[in-house]
Amino acid sequence: MRNRLNYEVVIIGGGPSGLSAAIKLAERGVKTLVIERGRFCGSKNVFGGVIYTSSIKNLVSDFPQVEPFPCERPITEEGFFLISEKGLSKITFLKKEDTPQSFSALRAKFDSWLSRVALEKGVDFALKTKVIDLIKNFRGEIKGVVVERPESWESSNPAQISAKLVIIAEGVNRVLTQKAGLLKRDWSSEEVVLSVKEVIQIPKNKLEARLGIGESEGLAVELVGDITLGLPGTGFLYTNQSSLSFGIGVFLKSLVENKIKPYELLEKAKAHPYFRELFQEGEILEYSAHLIPEWGLEGFPNLYGKGVLAVGDAVGLVNPIFREGANLAIYSGIYAAETAYEALKRDDFSEKTLSMYEEKIKSSYFYKDFLLLKDLKKTLFTSNQWFNFYPQFFNFLLESYVSSRGREKREVLREILQELKRKRGKLGILRDIIKILKLFW
Amino acid sequence: MISIDDKIYTLKFYVDEKNSHLRIKDPKICFKKCKERFCLYFCPAGVYRVEKDTLLVNYQACLECGSCRAGCPFKNIEWSYPKSGYGVCYKFG
Repeated sequence: MRNRLNYEVVIIGGGPSGLSAAIKLAERGVKTLVIERGRFCGSKNVFGGVIYTSSIKNLVSDFPQVEPFPCERPITEEGFFLISEKGLSKITFLKKEDTPQSFSALRAKFDSWLSRVALEKGVDFALKTKVIDLIKNFRGEIKGVVVERPESWESSNPAQISAKLVIIAEGVNRVLTQKAGLLKRDWSSEEVVLSVKEVIQIPKNKLEARLGIGESEGLAVELVGDITLGLPGTGFLYTNQSSLSFGIGVFLKSLVENKIKPYELLEKAKAHPYFRELFQEGEILEYSAHLIPEWGLEGFPNLYGKGVLAVGDAVGLVNPIFREGANLAIYSGIYAAETAYEALKRDDFSEKTLSMYEEKIKSSYFYKDFLLLKDLKKTLFTSNQWFNFYPQFFNFLLESYVSSRGREKREVLREILQELKRKRGKLGILRDIIKILKLFW
Repeated sequence: MISIDDKIYTLKFYVDEKNSHLRIKDPKICFKKCKERFCLYFCPAGVYRVEKDTLLVNYQACLECGSCRAGCPFKNIEWSYPKSGYGVCYKFG
């Protein structure tokens, strides 16, 4: 084999999980290559999105005191908007912190910043390069990757890059995870949420005025209710420096079955009286779409194989209820790097050594959360009421309360209870309570 | 009402003029077997469109989300990412 590139670790994908692994490996002097199919790291990546200080501090200890600053605004107000057809109720928590726990961010900027951190630590990058296959030896051990670039000027054969260990950080579409033999099965449409989003520029000063926030304050809210037409899913609204990130995510299965165009769902949400006013004179800077892996534990691939580890979205490390994803990707990348370093030290890339990675994942807090939420999908799919009736009812409740002056209150209360009984029934309410308790216990 | 084309205009693409990374495996299935044509709806970029009796694959506008890998009930879409460096290039993401 002539001129074959040689690395100790090759990482497929330059998102948060892959870059975290790369940073941690380079810090320990490991010769590491990140291969990214996009033009720069972040150019193919989308999230809501909010990023958590605690996770980034593992990579850049000075964060958030860094230049250039990769995020948009500190999140100072966080919570839910419960949406009915005509109105909405806000349940938000306002924070005053010295060091904000979370920031809004846009991935083209954030991921490319993280890639520069990696570059400065000595990580090599192959951008605009797609990995098309994995190199396996006769024992089935993965020993490198094949990329969609010619191996030399004279030959059009795809180039090969050798590695002692390959870390797959390819994201939700698990093409190479499958080729590595780590997948028992791929996901189906009820296991992924299709999310569409717009970054909407708001005229200067109007963003703050409309949302009632200061210049260095930010809002991050989840939108529940009428916005998804009662389908299991949520919307989100996050403040960037001079724009808003607004999106909706619904299970792909629901979109398919109900023949709903996701961008029409988004347009309908933008036409809600509250949002119409919020987005007035707004300019769409960018539209985007992305799948969110919500298969949970049962859709996890094998986390390791001979000479290979899987991290981030490729595993399905998303906790949708608590809005964790990019941070879990970072943690998994760090665990993978620690495991890879140990394997390099022992010069042993067998499954036995690499199982250390699984142990690390399994003893993490987030794995326990996955265990806790294992029945989540079933609960969501069999309980549309969380997405249509209850948000609607909460609005009805508040509206009745605030408009009850000048009326006998017992009568108002009776109306409220009647509405609840008519729509859910005594038994239904009881069942809903039990469902919630079962989910979290 | 804003159309999907207006949304796609906000995006930057490096289009691979020679190769489509999406392919209908058997076009007959789309017209003989598939009555619902779910792909015309769920695709967030409106890549799949019908003109007369052809299913057009407007791959240039693809956002590479992967929905059509699972969304087509006949698994009739051969899916891959665009070639190295091609496809959508988010400015914000």
